[in-house]
Amino acid sequence: MARLLLIEDDGDTAGDVLDDLRGRGHEVAWVATGPDGARSAREGGWDAIILDRMLPGQDGLGVLQDLRRDGDRTPALVLSALGDVDERIRGLRAGGDDYLAKPFVLGELAARIEALLRRPVDGRETLLRVGSLEIDLVAGTGRRGARNLDLLPRELKLLAYLMRSPGRIVTRAMLFEEVWNYRFTPKSNLIDVHLGRLRRKLEAAGEVPLIQNVRGVGFTLTPDD
Amino acid sequence: MTDVLRSTTLRWALGIALWSVLLALTMFAFIYWQTASYLREELAETLRLEVRAAAADPAATALRVDTWTAMDPHARHYGGFFAPNGTRRAGNLDTIPKGLPQDGDAYRVNATVVVGGRSLADEIWASALSLPGGGTVVIAHDTDDIDKVRVTTLRALGLGLLPMLALSGIGGIVLARRGRRRFAATEAALAEVMRGNLGKRLPVGKRGDEFDRLAANVNRMLDEIEHLMGEVRSVGDAVAHDLRTPLTRLRARLERSRAQAKTVAEFHEAIDQGLAWIDQTLAMVTAVLRIGAMEEGRRTAFAPVDLGELAAAAVDFFEPEAEERSVRLVLAADAEVPPVHGDRDLCFEALSNLIDNALKFTPSGGAVRVEVAHSSQAVEVAVEDTGPGLPASEHDKIFRRFYRAEMSRQTPGNGLGLSLVAAIAKLHGASVCVRAAEEGGCRFTMNFSKLIIVVNMPFAD
Repeated sequence: MARLLLIEDDGDTAGDVLDDLRGRGHEVAWVATGPDGARSAREGGWDAIILDRMLPGQDGLGVLQDLRRDGDRTPALVLSALGDVDERIRGLRAGGDDYLAKPFVLGELAARIEALLRRPVDGRETLLRVGSLEIDLVAGTGRRGARNLDLLPRELKLLAYLMRSPGRIVTRAMLFEEVWNYRFTPKSNLIDVHLGRLRRKLEAAGEVPLIQNVRGVGFTLTPDD
Repeated sequence: MTDVLRSTTLRWALGIALWSVLLALTMFAFIYWQTASYLREELAETLRLEVRAAAADPAATALRVDTWTAMDPHARHYGGFFAPNGTRRAGNLDTIPKGLPQDGDAYRVNATVVVGGRSLADEIWASALSLPGGGTVVIAHDTDDIDKVRVTTLRALGLGLLPMLALSGIGGIVLARRGRRRFAATEAALAEVMRGNLGKRLPVGKRGDEFDRLAANVNRMLDEIEHLMGEVRSVGDAVAHDLRTPLTRLRARLERSRAQAKTVAEFHEAIDQGLAWIDQTLAMVTAVLRIGAMEEGRRTAFAPVDLGELAAAAVDFFEPEAEERSVRLVLAADAEVPPVHGDRDLCFEALSNLIDNALKFTPSGGAVRVEVAHSSQAVEVAVEDTGPGLPASEHDKIFRRFYRAEMSRQTPGNGLGLSLVAAIAKLHGASVCVRAAEEGGCRFTMNFSKLIIVVNMPFAD
């Protein structure tokens, strides 16, 4: 699986993240300071870097900016303390590919890291197919097997996002960011309502369920073949 | 005692006493000077008249001089009638006093006088005139009368000064004591405030003097501080209270599950419920911190935001939720709304909170209407519902942190949604207000004034 570098000064947080990511089969190295992080990152060979915003020695964003200036494009996820309004924008501007505010749900971090890892292969496909499910983003149509699906534009977007990562968990926040293109934490039941309606359209009586709810984290689309 | 000595009032009292002594001294000096001049002038006039009378008739001069000297039993009258060679013909002066001009005016000179057969050197007031037939007449008076006035004045001053000083001192101490009592009451009140009793107020007298006005002002300041402290405390209390509720539930649930859960599924269920409650508390803590951060007014990531598009996305996002509640969610947006300078995520969050709030209070069958309108001055985003509405008295309060209107106590929520809206509006320099909607519910309005509408604004970021 993936080789990940975690740059995080808080031992407890680092321990939980290491356990969780290693439990998911990733190989994770951990360093605790900015300069150590910069050194490790430069050794190369990482599939993704997770770095905290505040680090002893050198600020996490400084480490990231240095890497980007030197042409290192390794996907990076920035972690930051809770409550900061502009942190995300600073994180993304410094060259971060994604951002997560503490405290976070471990499943959310894992899902985002996995999304980062597969981002390059997403491409610009407009015709997506997963199992018996098929959608055409240009025509705005969808089918399950022989049955035509009557999908609203936002439902098409939701489904496309799920279909681009079949079998993987996408969190509610990720879905919201992707489909509505805004960043905040909506009440979870609002996303669930959207997914519920989508599922009613996809899963007619007697059909195999496609979308599963992953408790406490998000949803996953399982191919039916 | 040192306290009394150090007190400002006593120093003032002492100062005033010294000042009155100084005044008295000046006054005595003036009175002495006036009295002495008067007496001197009076005496000079007498001497002038007398010498002129004596000189007028050379035949009677000797008699006149003797009459003058004899007239006075206390031997204060002097006179002399001298021959042209200086020999005394009458009177009790040995010689014509040296340096005495013989012009009939009165002068203060030293002379030797004969009193009771003894010659005495004395200072006298004298007046002399040359007689037409030769010779000189001198009429004089000793200076004791005038000197006595000085002595009397000084004695009076000395006698008067001591009681005056004593009275001033007593007056000063009485004043100092009174001031001291007033200060002591004020100091005691302040000390109590400093010990933490913010409800204590300074005593304010009925006189309405500067001191009372100062005390009244300090009291007003304390009112304001108490009000602010109360607000801070109520936020703190509310946070603590709202944190305790889910934590208490969580604790009870964990305890019960530990004792009763038998299967893994039951444990999972307990843990999931616990996680949900923890998420709820974390969301609240995050919201409080974010409101705090926004109230500090950081705005580094502003860019042009299209509120029309934003409202459309928000309505799209809430549509299924509205449908589940059988509430019509309607969007009415002007075309071509000019962009405002802001943070699109925060604007979306604010509008979401308003829509969420409106949906929560609108009964099924009702409607929520989202409007985006613009004028030359402003872009206005409004959310109107057909819910029960709010009493006007609560219109301002609902934007306060943790405030929950009386009727909304039973609905879920942490009382922070509208505070977040207010904080976001403030960060954007927008105003937010609520009023009764025409159809009975509430109408929340966010007004982005034209000052922050982007007109070819150079992108700072």
